[in-house]
Amino acid sequence: MEVLSMEDVAKHEKDTVLFPDFSLKVYRQGVTAIYSSLNVRHVLLNMLIGKHSVTSGKIFVQNESYNINRRAYLAQIAVCFFEEGMYERLTIMDCLKFYQGLYQSKQTFEQVLQWTQLEDKTHTKVSKLTFSERRRVQFAKVLLQDAALYIFEEADLNVDLETKRVFSTIIQKLQENQKAILILTGNMENAISVADEVYRLDEKGLYKVEIDEGKDEDVKKEVPDAEEKEQTFKFHKIPTKINEKMVLFDPPEIDYIESKDGQAHLYIKGEAFPTTFTLNELEGRLHYFGFFRCHRSYIVNLQKVREVITWTRNSFNLILDDQAKSSIPLSKGKMAQLKEILGLK
Amino acid sequence: MTFSMKRVLAIFNKDLKDLSKNMFVSTSILMPLVLAAIYGRMAEDLSIESYYLVINLAFTMTATFIQCAIIAEEKEKNTLRGLMLSPATIPEIFSGKSLVAFLLSIVTIVVSSIFMEYYPENVALVAVAIVVSTLFYIALGTLLGLLARSVVEASVIIMPVVFLLGFGSFIETLMDKYPILHFAEYLPNLQLIEFATKVQAGSGLTDVWSHLSVITAWFLIVSFLTIVIFKKKEIDA
Repeated sequence: MEVLSMEDVAKHEKDTVLFPDFSLKVYRQGVTAIYSSLNVRHVLLNMLIGKHSVTSGKIFVQNESYNINRRAYLAQIAVCFFEEGMYERLTIMDCLKFYQGLYQSKQTFEQVLQWTQLEDKTHTKVSKLTFSERRRVQFAKVLLQDAALYIFEEADLNVDLETKRVFSTIIQKLQENQKAILILTGNMENAISVADEVYRLDEKGLYKVEIDEGKDEDVKKEVPDAEEKEQTFKFHKIPTKINEKMVLFDPPEIDYIESKDGQAHLYIKGEAFPTTFTLNELEGRLHYFGFFRCHRSYIVNLQKVREVITWTRNSFNLILDDQAKSSIPLSKGKMAQLKEILGLK
Repeated sequence: MTFSMKRVLAIFNKDLKDLSKNMFVSTSILMPLVLAAIYGRMAEDLSIESYYLVINLAFTMTATFIQCAIIAEEKEKNTLRGLMLSPATIPEIFSGKSLVAFLLSIVTIVVSSIFMEYYPENVALVAVAIVVSTLFYIALGTLLGLLARSVVEASVIIMPVVFLLGFGSFIETLMDKYPILHFAEYLPNLQLIEFATKVQAGSGLTDVWSHLSVITAWFLIVSFLTIVIFKKKEIDA
């Protein structure tokens, strides 16, 4: 049964398209993540809580719409904001008592405290908590609500390992209780680690991200040290230089990388940005994001590849899904590797 | 739409606890109390004006300022959004908050009156006037709280109110000099003094109802303005 249903929702801001119309359904027990830029995330969240009116398209939660019955709609959603205001001077217990009274919750404190691992902090003031512990208090707040749809905004960004663990337990508990979960994040790793379905939302629309492929690659690389793996993710933007300015790009934005005159150029929407890294360095850094060294002087973002064209038996080209439909050479030796990645023999 | 007393009490409890730990705001209660204690020790027999100087100060410093500060803080700390998304209705949220300011003002006024040894001739009648005035000052606090963006800003915009309504009895002396200021006698604080003076002189409800209705009118006007501003802010936000 579907809990959240978004139909042809779109947002334009002045002349720019934030995201074109898309439809999305989140079902009971489903965990869906939307990976997007900060801007898109804010707009989407504000639409979901009714702060921005939905100008084109419709949003329903349990068949309730904000415009028709505001209270019934809001009663169906529980939101855990990234920048949630908290009552700093109250202790955790007082906060929870307040939320319990406010939401008329039947959930017991013991249960919630146990799930959020806050049992030994109940008499600590909120202002004295660490960032991760505050996050867990916010999780506790959400758990005290009895909604159909739970929305988490950047729930496990910059938190410690314990909180990450708490977060995935909470998701599991909510799933067991027949709830639907929507995760809004700007961090692909977070999205992939907890969600069943991951989508990317940008000005081109809503795209489903295949999780399995990413997992396979992780296994293939066999990174034994979890810490080392995390560091790779923490520092994943690629710096480029334009005139005297430094511009940082998110790997998913990059279409492909070309080495020209001894310098690597990132291609983003048909524009080239020179970077100081060598192709070998980039290959190492971008491996996790589904980038593939398809040629001695090319690295391609596999997510963007639309077609593989065979010219002759020994010459291949990759056609990308970008505006210019760029064509990139694929070396003969690399074809076997690519087939392996694609799961073809 | 149902009005849930449980939710109101939850908000009331939370705000009371929060306030008791917020020294910056809660110490404002002390000012009228200290003044009352000094006045009570200074003179044997105080005039109605001095009693009401303290009571009016108590109104502005507790009812208005506390209400204004807790609403402004809720906005500043970004917690109002959570409240708005919760099942609590807007009347519930504001009643919970007003209840805190209401209770504290009544306590402050009763304690100050005991300190000053002020015993009205007709306690019931004065009590009604005090309650109606408290409602007016709380409504004013709500209005200012909606306008202020932070607690610091709240303590700044409260200043003119404290001067005009808290120390307002001084305007009377100016009124004789500048006839243009005569409209000031309709201010709720001066109306309350007039009311109390007449009650002290032994008048009954028939003589003083006009003052009471002026204060009620003030309350209604400010409440109306508050609702208008709230609606406007809600659309803007």
